[in-house]
Order: sequence, then structure tokens, then C-alpha cells
Amino acid sequence: MSTQRRFPHRVGHRGPSFDPALDRRSALKLFMAGVAATLASCGRPPEQIVPYVEMPEREVPGLPLEFASALPLAGYGRGVIITSIEGRPLKINGNPRHPASLGSTDVYGEAAVLSLYDPDRSKAPYSDNRIQSWSAFEAALRPRLDSHRQQQGKGLAILTGRLTSPTMIAQLGALSQSMPEMTWYRHEPIGDDAVREGASLAFGQPATAIPRFRDAKVLLTLDADPIGFGPEQIRHAREIAHARRSTSPGESLRIYSAEPDWSLTGALADHRVALQPVLIRNVAIEVARALGASLRQASLPDEVGPFVQACASDLAARRGAALVAAGLRQPAEVHALCHWINKQLQGPVDFIAPVDPVAVGHIESLRKLASEAGAGRVDTLIIIGANPVYDAPADLAFDRIVAKVPFTAHCGSYHDETAERCTWHLPLTHVLEGWSDIRASDGTASIMQPLIRPLYDSRDGHQVLAMLQLQEASSGTLDIIRNQWRHAAAEGQWDDWWRQTLQDGVVASSSSPKLSLPPARLPSIAPATAAENFTFVLSPDPSVFDGSLANNAWLQECPKPFTSQVWGNALHVADADARKLRLDDGDVVELKQGDVTFEAAILVRPGQAAGVLSATLGYGRENAGSIGTGIGFNAYRLRMAKAPWLGGNFSITKTARRENLLRTQHVFELEGEAEELQPRLTLEDLAKGNFHFDRPGDNPPTLYPAPHDDTYQWAMAIDASACIGCNACVIACQAENNVPVVGPEEIAEGRDMHWLRIDHYVVEERPGFSPTPCMHCEHAPCEPVCPVAASIHDSEGLNLQVYNRCVGTRFCESNCPYKVRRFNFFGYADGDEYGNLGADIAKAVFNPNVTVRSRGVMEKCTYCVQRISLARRAAEKDGRPIREGEVVTACEAACPTKAIDFGLISNPQSRVSALRADPRSYALLGNLGTRPRTTYLARLQNPKPDYGKTRA
Amino acid sequence: MPQLFRPYADTIARCVLVSLAVVPILLIGLGYWVTASEYTTDQSITVDQPVPFSHAHHVGGLGLDCRYCHTGVETSPVAGIPPTHTCMTCHSQLYTQTAMLAPIRESLADNKPIHWNKVNRLPGYVYFDHSIHIAKGVGCTTCHGPVASMPLMRQAAPLTMGWCLDCHRNPAPNLRPASEVFNPDWKFPDDQAQRGIVLAHQYLDNKHLTDCSVCHR
Repeated sequence: MSTQRRFPHRVGHRGPSFDPALDRRSALKLFMAGVAATLASCGRPPEQIVPYVEMPEREVPGLPLEFASALPLAGYGRGVIITSIEGRPLKINGNPRHPASLGSTDVYGEAAVLSLYDPDRSKAPYSDNRIQSWSAFEAALRPRLDSHRQQQGKGLAILTGRLTSPTMIAQLGALSQSMPEMTWYRHEPIGDDAVREGASLAFGQPATAIPRFRDAKVLLTLDADPIGFGPEQIRHAREIAHARRSTSPGESLRIYSAEPDWSLTGALADHRVALQPVLIRNVAIEVARALGASLRQASLPDEVGPFVQACASDLAARRGAALVAAGLRQPAEVHALCHWINKQLQGPVDFIAPVDPVAVGHIESLRKLASEAGAGRVDTLIIIGANPVYDAPADLAFDRIVAKVPFTAHCGSYHDETAERCTWHLPLTHVLEGWSDIRASDGTASIMQPLIRPLYDSRDGHQVLAMLQLQEASSGTLDIIRNQWRHAAAEGQWDDWWRQTLQDGVVASSSSPKLSLPPARLPSIAPATAAENFTFVLSPDPSVFDGSLANNAWLQECPKPFTSQVWGNALHVADADARKLRLDDGDVVELKQGDVTFEAAILVRPGQAAGVLSATLGYGRENAGSIGTGIGFNAYRLRMAKAPWLGGNFSITKTARRENLLRTQHVFELEGEAEELQPRLTLEDLAKGNFHFDRPGDNPPTLYPAPHDDTYQWAMAIDASACIGCNACVIACQAENNVPVVGPEEIAEGRDMHWLRIDHYVVEERPGFSPTPCMHCEHAPCEPVCPVAASIHDSEGLNLQVYNRCVGTRFCESNCPYKVRRFNFFGYADGDEYGNLGADIAKAVFNPNVTVRSRGVMEKCTYCVQRISLARRAAEKDGRPIREGEVVTACEAACPTKAIDFGLISNPQSRVSALRADPRSYALLGNLGTRPRTTYLARLQNPKPDYGKTRA
Repeated sequence: MPQLFRPYADTIARCVLVSLAVVPILLIGLGYWVTASEYTTDQSITVDQPVPFSHAHHVGGLGLDCRYCHTGVETSPVAGIPPTHTCMTCHSQLYTQTAMLAPIRESLADNKPIHWNKVNRLPGYVYFDHSIHIAKGVGCTTCHGPVASMPLMRQAAPLTMGWCLDCHRNPAPNLRPASEVFNPDWKFPDDQAQRGIVLAHQYLDNKHLTDCSVCHR
């Protein structure tokens, strides 16, 4: 089965349309009024220039400034460098010095600027159904705080997400010193409790594994998704892509993957089996047995036999460079067993002390809070940056818990589900607005610096804690942070240290030291038997992660890998089960487990293990804001505290209802064409050279003139082998190029605006991704059909779209074989409810160097022509040619695996010239003679040559 | 039956026949003339300002360099309007009581910026960069006119696409030596035709200044 874009299905509801109440007469009246107004037209409205009173140091109007900071995800930091123009933070870039960024970004980081300017953000303290002030809150809190203080903090509880901020942890430490009976609870919805327990089980002490994928040659993932969405995605993806870059079969990393549903790692894997989550442990047991563990034999389905056999022999053969990784959904024993296996294999893995400093698990912590509060032992609950009413396990019934506490204050960026049920809601500053600090998952600390003053009357977590400590709340967070770090600098070098640390975005040598651990113990682990009924697996969402990002329209409209679903989630059902139950995409089913029932629309997923239902978290928000409320279903309702990622014993029945699931790429068969659109090669094929592609240079004869040879010639090369489908490039493009959001109604009409999409093709049941921007064809089919020459080439080989010429015939879109042109049907960037929510502040996110396109205009990828122009002007001013690597497109900069290369083919020494000459290089639909400047490197696979051929 | 047409009907018919041919041409010509006229381009309109800042006095009289106030012009796409502080470097000492300068003092006292009225305006889809023009030998007064003799500023050039393209197609007549870019009194020499070609050869590597992407993106 393969997939490709096709004409949209026409569905019931239509998007914004012309007012039907306008009859012929009124139309004529308006037309004539328009003519009259044009004839007597007035001049352009006057404009003003507003300079500074006192210009800040280093500020030059019109020039961007860059600041290093860090952004949190699930409590861990990823270093970023933020571009700010005239005081507006506009673009998030990776910080090459930061180990969790390495210069790249992910979808969540790229989208952070849109959240900053979100008009739905909470703007003022709120209580008693009205807007309040911070001083009113302080007045209300003060008597309670005094009485808590007298009782050593008894009855006072603070709930946060995962905290790795050294300052915040120190503040909480100081608080509990002055009030020893006060309790700090933690709740992180994307928790890794089992991973931590597994390490304790194996080593007898808490430890965090830091695998060095870079050094691995064989990797077995057991329901693990190291390159999947989360705070470590970028680092893992970079390392795995690096390890797979070699084209020699012995050197390139081979990945084996056993998993219940599709993960990004599974898509990349050379051998993959779909297995029920409970049976994953049997794979681990069998691999351990092959390495000499004295464990009871585990039974596995017949088709898994060759997988385990090949994998175990491969792992054993590459001792020292073989790794096994288990995912956070697997229980602690499986993790412990993996540690034991890695020990036997001498796998490239380091251990550090956990960065999350509290040993108690997050679910355990929340359960304790629920029982304490349920028993009436919590009088005051301060929630900072968490939303437990929405994302706590359903069996804790947190809405009822909150109601039992007499005084609850919720500090958050949005007036969310928890805020709704708390006595007080207090607005929290956005991460780009305040000082803070944070550690990455390897312990590296960063100072987070503000890019802009708080837009609203908000305070940050440090200020709230300082208020609880009865410190002057107005005392700046900056002082609190500086005091925390003062000891880190050598005597007398504080100012230099501080300046350098801010500039680098990383606190020098702050990563956690490696632990030397005792050898991992072999856990007692019993084989499991296959589940009878359906098993439910949850995962963080590729778009909205844990749901806290649900009000971000860029993320809502970011097509999810594999399914290209936008604006919602779906229950994924294996194709075998769907056939059995006669289910089709969009059918609504009823899920039942005990007395819990639940309805959700399904998507049929080939390649998912039979008997497994999977869904992503983060949807079904009730109080997310005007973008995120009421989209999809809330999978947290199926989450139980004892097993937060898996649920057993579900049954499903089909209902009569259907839902229209919104997808930007539609699934259908392509007879053999997928292989042409996204060719695959094994390393063996590559070595033998027995393949044929449409090479970038193989051009049919033409009468068209040759490209200029007296100037720069730009081209892009995309390594389909390295693309993991993470979408970072898509959102980076959206942020850089002012790409508007069209909203679910328009998506249902088959319209979308992404200049760069990630196409997903399935060849022989193996999915693969290829980012598809404009090909910038040398013989562009869009150009001769444009009646006004709005689609036109420039001398440097770019296929331009001149917006102020475009009259919107859409001939170019029809004639584009790659379908990369996007038409602005309704002025999506302005005046559209999903574009700006009607608020001026939402316009602050626009990049001033790129036109905000209006209605009726065609647009498409420009190869970031504004960045080319910037580099060209800089080079011209210096009187030198543009250097190799000087122009980095937004997608190229974002890519965690460096799959995208952009550069000059007019320079034969450039990287992109070398990549075009690579034997794997092919031109998409090259036989059409379009001579695309964007070319691809074929997707490589590295299967074990004798897989399934030998039997032990 | 009486005559249907009087003798002058012939004249009318002739006039109509001629008009049929001439009037459309005249109308089109009028259209072109109106769009290129100062009425449409706002050229030569002197714009009122909250403080009647005189370039004639500051540049022509005192000889201040353009870059004293327009600090970004060599590095940034926008030349920049000076912050209130720049005015106060002198006016904290000179003319401290003048009513004319009251808005400047208020701006500083209240920390409220002055709202200057824009004189040279380009459409939003044009991305003009001052710094590259300065670097390539296009002097300030080439586009901004005889600033040193303007009490209040006016738009000295039509700023139409045709006007931009005239120079982008053939920059030579408008280039001066880099040392003279900020000279408000620069006069093109009589042999500019030859000198310009030499300068163009010296300064301009980009042979494709009329690509759409040079200004539109």
C-alpha cells in the first residue's frame, strides 16, 4: 500500500465562504460604490516612524539580535538560540553548544514563539469569577501562609511538573527548611517512572542511562523510540543518523525494533516486528537467554523467531558496539533486564545520577497527594505549571481531589482545566519572558534569559516560590538566579563567567559526572502470555505532546508522521483487527474495560500488532483556549495510575457514527509508483550498483536555454535515508516564512498551506519519509502557464513566486507535478480566525523579512530567498563570494539528523554538488524533464543478509 | 420629408470618428501620467513633523554627517531615525528653552518616543536595504535629493518600480566613489558616463540586479 496526495473528499461542512445573503442587486451596488471610491480614491494613509527615546546598547533597528537560552520539554531543557528583531523574539534555532540541541530543533521548540504571542494566554490573576490582582492574591494567601508557618508548613502542598531547575529546587529546599512539614509533589504526564525503577532494580541505586548511539553498530529497541518525540529526540536522532551514515554494511548501525505500534525508530529499523506490548518482554528474555541468562524460556509467535534469532546473533557478534533499549511503556523488570543485556554486550552506554533529583516516581507522588488531599490533610495547594485535572491518571479523579482542598492556587500560562477548578488562577510568564535555569537530560545546565518583558501581568515560578518564602515578590528573578549560580564562578570572575554563560547558553562543564555502577543484576522476570482482549497503548502526541501545547495552531496543523492527521487524534487499530471487526477509517467505536466506556474514531494502521489499540495523549482538552478546546478525544481518561502507558482487557464495538478525520495526505494504492517516488536500496544493492535512478544530470534534450553560468546556482539535496519524519523542518519553515494556519474546516476542503510537507510512502510494508519542498525545477512547468509572469526564474536558479504580480489563476498549481504550490483562498494570515484569533498581538510573530501573503495569491517554498539575499548582501559588502554553508535554510537548520543540505552547485567543491553526484542521488519524477534543483538520496536499509535463512 | 441631419452633423460625425481613435489613447496616456505623477507618488510633498527638524540647518549649516543620526545606514536595511537621546546630545546645552523643541524635552522626560511622519514610503512587498546601496556607491542625495537645502523633508524621487529599475538596469550614471557617498553637496562630474562604468565594474559583482528576488520575497 502506498500513499500520495489526491483530490480532497468533499465533506459536509464548508469553510468560510462568500456571504450567500448578498444578492445580485447588492453586489452591483457594492461594485458601483467600489468604482466610485476608486475614482475618487484618497492617498495612502500616513505612516509614522517611532524611534527609541534611548536606544538599547547593541540594538540597530532592522538588524536581528540573537540570544542563547533553553526551552523546557517534559521538564528537561533543550538549548536554543533565539532570533529577535526589534525586541520581538521571532525564530527559535538550535544551540550547537548544547548537548540536547546540537544546533537543531524540534517541533515544540520551533512553535514556542507562537505560544508567546497566543492571545488566549492568561493575562491576569483570576478568582471568584472575576479578574483580580496579584496583591489581592497575596492578601488572601498571607493569613493562610502565616498559620502554615506556625505549624511548620503542615497542610501546605506544592505541586509542580518535573523540575530540573537548580534555582527552583534550591528555592523549594529553602521553603521546606523553613516549613519542614510542607510537601512538594510532582506530576509529569510524560513520566519515566518505570525506566527509573528499572535502573534501581538492576544496580541497586538510581541511575540514568545515557546511550551512545553514535558508537553502536547494532541496536535492538524494545517498544522504545529513542528518536521519538521528547526532550532527547534531537540528540538521539543526530547520533543514530550519524551511526547509519556509513555505507559499508559492517559499519552502519543496524536497527532491530520490536514494538506494538509504529514509532519513528520502528520506521527507520532494518528489521521490525509488531508485537503485543506484554510480549515485548519475551523478546528481551529470549535475547538474554541467547547471551547466557538462566531464565525460563519464553514463547513467541512463530514469525518472531527469526527476528529474535538474527538479532541475538547480531548483538552477540558486535559486543562492545551493541545496544538494547527499552521504552518508557515497558515495566521496570524489562528495563533491568536490558541493563543486564547491555552489561553482557559491553554496550556503549554511560550512566549518570538522575537529573530529576527526587527518587519518588511521579505517579507515586501524585497518588500520595491524592490520598493526602482526599483525607483532608491538605489545606493549601499551590500548583505551579501543571494541569493535573486534565492529565492525571483517571482513577485518581483529580477534579474531585482539587475540590476537597479549601484553598487551591493554580499558576499556569492558560486558564485551563485545573485553573477552572481552583480557588485562584495566576498567570505564569512564558519561557521567553522570564529568567530561569534548567538542566538537560544529561545534566547540562543552561540559564534561560528573557527575550521580551512579560506581555501581561504574570509572574514566573521563582517569583511565586519567593512569595511563599515571604520574600519581596517584586525582587527580580534575575537576582534569585544570579545568587544561585554565584558559587559556580571562580573568585573574582563572576561577571565574566555570567556573561560567557549567557552567551554560550550552557553552563560550562555542568553535565552530570558518569557513575561507576556495580554490574547489573539479572532481574527475576517471568515470560508473559499473549493478552486475550485488546491492549491499549498510549504515547505522547507528535503534535501537541502532553496536551499543554494544544492551543498552538502550528502544532495542531502539523501533520502527524505515518497518518498525516491534523487537528485531532484517532484510535489506531491494526489492519487485521479492522478487517475482523469490519472497521474503516473514521468509524467511531466504543471501547469498554470493566465499567469504563469510551468513544473514539479509528484509523486503520497496517503494521500495528494485532490486538493492540493505540492513541496519543494531549487531545480532548476542555479549557485549552480557542484553538485547542474540544479537539479529538482525551486518552488520559484511559490512563490508570498503576500502569500509565498500557491498559489491558479492552473490548471494542462499532457504533453507527462516523467522524471525518482530517488528513493532509490521503492513503491509497499506487501501483508500483511508490517505489519510483521513494526508491529504497539495501547496502548490498548499493555496493553492487544494480539499480537505476533518474539521475540529476540525466536530462532529456531540450530547446530551453541553459541556466546562467556567471552567478550563484542554488540547489538542495535531501537524504531520504536520514529523514526520520519528525516534522521539525515543517514548523521551522512555518515560523520562518510566515506560513499561515488554515484551520480544520479548510483542511477538510483539501486545502493546506505548508510550504514543506513530509511525504510518507510505504514500500513492501516499510514506511519511509521524504520532505517535499518546491523542487525549483530548471524547466519549471509552473512558469510557462502563468499569464502574468508571477511564477518566474531568477538568474540564480530559484523559481520565484512574485506575490504582487500574482492574480490567482492557479494554473501554476495545476501544472506543478510535485503539488508543492499553495493557494491563499481566504487570506489565512490575516482576518482568519485560526490565523490571528482577531488579536493584534498574534501579528507579532510575523517575520518582517518575508511578505505576509494576502488572499488570492499563490505561494510556495522560496528556498528561504530572504536568507540567500541576506548572505548575498553581506558578501557583496565584504567584496567576497558567498561562502559554502553561509546560507542555511530554515528546514536545514532545524533538521536534527542533517538530512537536508543546501548550497551552491555552481561551486563543484560544495557539499551539495558532491551529494548530487552520489550514486544514491535521484531526481523526483526526473523523467518529466523538469530538472529539479531539489534532489534526493535514496533511502538506505541495512538488513542482515542471512535474515530468516538460518535456524539455531 | 424634412432633412434628418443639419449640415453640422457632418462635423460631429467627423469629430466622433476622430475621438474614437484618439480618446482611448488619451485616456490610457492620462492613466499612465496620473500614476507616474507626483499626485500619486507623493513626490515633492513636504511633510509636516512634530518638531520642525531642519536638514538645511543641521546638514547644510552645521555640516553634521548623515551617520551621526542615521546610525544604521551602513549596516542595516533601515537607516534609522535617531532616538531622543541623540537630539539631546546637543540640545541639553543649546536652545534648552525653545518652544520648538518642547516635544523633544517632553519625550525625554516622559520616556515617550516622538512620532515622526514618514516621508519616503515603499510598499510592504518591497525589501529595500540602505546598507548595500551605501556600500555600492549610491550616495544619500542620489535618492533623497538635496537634503542640505531642505528645511523640512520631502520625497525627492518618485520611488516607483520603474524608477528603481532604471538604476538597477544601468547603475553607472548614479554611482559615486565610496568616499563621496555621504557628501551632501556631491555633484556628478561631467565625465560621469565614463567614471560610472569604471565604478560599476569596481563595485558591482551581481550582474542580475533586475531579478525579482532582489527586491521582492
